[in-house]
Amino acid sequence: MDVRDNSATSSETLESWVRLYTNSMYTWALYKTSNKESAEDLVQDTFLTAYQQLEKFRGDSNPKTWLLAILNNKIAEHYRKKYRNSVQTDDMEGTTSGRNIFITMFDEDDRWKKKEKPFEWNADENQLLDDKEFNIVLSSCLGKLPEHWQSAVHLKFIEQKNGERICQELNITPTNFWQILHRAKLQLRKCLEINWFKL
Amino acid sequence: MLSCKKATELMEKQSLVGLSVKERIRLRLHTSMCDGCTAYQKQSLLIDKLLRHNLTQQSVEIVPEVENGELKTRILSKLPKE
Repeated sequence: MDVRDNSATSSETLESWVRLYTNSMYTWALYKTSNKESAEDLVQDTFLTAYQQLEKFRGDSNPKTWLLAILNNKIAEHYRKKYRNSVQTDDMEGTTSGRNIFITMFDEDDRWKKKEKPFEWNADENQLLDDKEFNIVLSSCLGKLPEHWQSAVHLKFIEQKNGERICQELNITPTNFWQILHRAKLQLRKCLEINWFKL
Repeated sequence: MLSCKKATELMEKQSLVGLSVKERIRLRLHTSMCDGCTAYQKQSLLIDKLLRHNLTQQSVEIVPEVENGELKTRILSKLPKE
């Protein structure tokens, strides 16, 4: 669909995109945020941004791909905000969840507790990547983490930036960030083991 | 000698910003003597790959489409008219 070719106005172009792509954009945003209101706001923002930046859209690329790229930026911004807000409410060192995961996994010398010591999973990576049921378990384990750990994990993977850049934008030290990711990983690993690998 | 807690923390640092030579040696020394951390390291890398795939795949098609006609109407009403 070339914007310029058919001499459609910006409004007309946007309208047709809204009709065509709202559902799939909404589905994606809902899948990424697990929150109806956030997903709706993100999609609405995406279309408004698209309207403002329409001249940047090249007619030879797929509008859906372009809109998804805008949406993905909005989703990253959403998690940055969420991270900042949740950090203020539960400071990292003080979180009970943080302390608990260490107490659960390690003994007083910071070695694995006997019953928590990891053993090989025998996992087939390629088979797991697109396994729907596994991905549902993974999403639900992620959803069980404290909010700012979740946001940290999302940011690490959805931002196409290196770790230092992500921390700069969040205004935190990298140390702080990987320590949160460490706690998150321990918990996620445990959750996956219980709900998938040991079944 | 690193503790298991510290070793697993270094793995996280490694995947985020990388390690210094000294840290890398200490980590390797630890995992060479610790079965638990060796298994954990493999699992941690696996989880990272699976998470990256789960969180970034562009294939909207993997999730069944959710209808939201109300949203469509609302956005249409908010679009500036020319």
